[in-house]
Amino acid sequence: MVIQAEKLSKHYGTTRALQGIDLQISESGIVGILGPNGAGKTTMIEIFEGLRMPSSGRVSVLGLDPARQSSTLKQRLGIQLQSTSIPPDLTSTEILKLFAAFYQKSLQPGEILKRIELQEKAGVRFSNLSGGQQQRIAIGLALVNDPELILLDEPTTGLDPVARRGVHDIISRLRDQGSTVLLTTHYIEEAEKLCDRIIIVKSGKIVADGTPFDLVSQAEGSSTIWIAVDGELDPAPLQQAGVTPQGTEGGHLHFITLDPAAAVIALGHVLQAQNLRLIDLRMKRPTLEDVYLSLIGQPEDEQVHDDARKPSMQNRAE
Amino acid sequence: MFRGLGRMAYSYLLMMFRTKTALFWTLVFPLFILIGFAIVFGGGDPERIAYIVPGILTITIISATFFGTSMNMVAQRENGVFRRYRATPVSPIVVVSAHALVSIFNLSISLLLQILAAVLIFNIQINGSLISLAVVAFCGFFAFAPLGLIVGSVAKDMKTAPAITNLLFFPMMFLSGAAMPFFMLPDWLQTIGKLLPATYVVESMLGVMVRGAGLTELFAPLLVLLASGLVAFLLNGMLFRWESNEPLNFKRLGMAVSLLTLIYIIAGLAIPSLKMSQRPVASIESKTDMQYANARKWP
Repeated sequence: MVIQAEKLSKHYGTTRALQGIDLQISESGIVGILGPNGAGKTTMIEIFEGLRMPSSGRVSVLGLDPARQSSTLKQRLGIQLQSTSIPPDLTSTEILKLFAAFYQKSLQPGEILKRIELQEKAGVRFSNLSGGQQQRIAIGLALVNDPELILLDEPTTGLDPVARRGVHDIISRLRDQGSTVLLTTHYIEEAEKLCDRIIIVKSGKIVADGTPFDLVSQAEGSSTIWIAVDGELDPAPLQQAGVTPQGTEGGHLHFITLDPAAAVIALGHVLQAQNLRLIDLRMKRPTLEDVYLSLIGQPEDEQVHDDARKPSMQNRAE
Repeated sequence: MFRGLGRMAYSYLLMMFRTKTALFWTLVFPLFILIGFAIVFGGGDPERIAYIVPGILTITIISATFFGTSMNMVAQRENGVFRRYRATPVSPIVVVSAHALVSIFNLSISLLLQILAAVLIFNIQINGSLISLAVVAFCGFFAFAPLGLIVGSVAKDMKTAPAITNLLFFPMMFLSGAAMPFFMLPDWLQTIGKLLPATYVVESMLGVMVRGAGLTELFAPLLVLLASGLVAFLLNGMLFRWESNEPLNFKRLGMAVSLLTLIYIIAGLAIPSLKMSQRPVASIESKTDMQYANARKWP
């Protein structure tokens, strides 16, 4: 078992940062904690790292208690912190050597620089690196001890899209090497692209947990179907199958349905019965973003929901 | 653990040599102080300057440990470098010791430059052995470095650190005989002076450099310095903070301050009279009176 948490809670004064987290992570791969700012992501990951003490509940990481066996545990963890700093006047190699000296077991700076694709910056001082390169060093520091579990707290926040992609590539490669990575993020697309498992947290509680695929399949909400046929379609039989017509859009007939699988089968039957040929079929299922927004909720929930959908629908129709 | 300590101290030295301000405080400022004091208070007279130099060396020890070490620690804690260390298995003792090692390196250079300048430029005579002088300087460092580290742990940020250091620095400078001769202080101020570690550094420095005393003669003040240094070093572990927002343990701080004060109360009682509380020989006396007169003209 990599991480096991039972009824984990953390209070700061009257603020309840975590409210009874139950979590088990036993697999290798990338696990993402996704949630808005202030949801308790950092608190959770820093309790696993032994940097914060839970107010109540039990937690074990790699079979150790982060509070009591912290120095043994830290030998085996690779940690990247969200708010921290690295000595600016040291070069990449010097920084990696400094941190390597704290561990019983460590990798050569050259090996780390290769993994974070920064070999050509080996002799450059940290202060002269770009934001993306600095972040790669921060991730490199999490790898110096060849850790069994890598914990990354918002590894891509504040980076431009190119630098973010670079960090994604590094993290993906860690998975390919068989490591377990736990990361936090508030970027939905990052979680969807990178993670094998997503844990969505809201106000210190886990509200969803599963693979990106599962989370989307479990989503409640209607799917949209656009079709084009070579004739006049009578939509009445479709309506009986739970497929509601919404008019036409750019020459396509527009339907919504709660059960897209059944809708496609019904559509096949109807087209055959009415002797029509299908020219085009497009379908849009709820995305992870829809799932996320419906779980997290917002003051103007419905409005945001609809606004977010409209442009994509128009794009499709054009 | 020693690998971590060596590497961290080495990294700090690299960082220092790459920062111009750090080099200024280690190389230029101590020379500036020595030459300034020697000209203003010593009037260029080797005998008078020889009586002033032990005090200047003491001031250098205090400022290197209080301002150098403590500010470095506070800065690193405030900007989050310590927080990053905390995510590794490195122990606070290693972090604190690395700061102390860098501090003694800087201090050795500063003191060496000052002594060389005093001997080569102002022709002063050092009456005791250089080995004794080195031992006394080390005992002074050993007493002060942990105090600087404690200030570094107690001060919350770069705004409070200078306030705390100055609060300790100025009484130490004026009541210890470092900035003005100890025998000129009224008895009650001398009594307060005996509660300060700096006083025992000046006493030993003067002993070696002016009276030519050996280490056996200076056994008592040196023992006080070593004892307080050892206690303060152990107290460091209790007061160390990884992060600025960690609350300071006032109970432990109170205990540390009382324990250190107790050591100096015992020292004051055990060493009833310091050698430097007596006026020096006539030839210097008249000159040091002049020096005092000069000191009073100081703005």
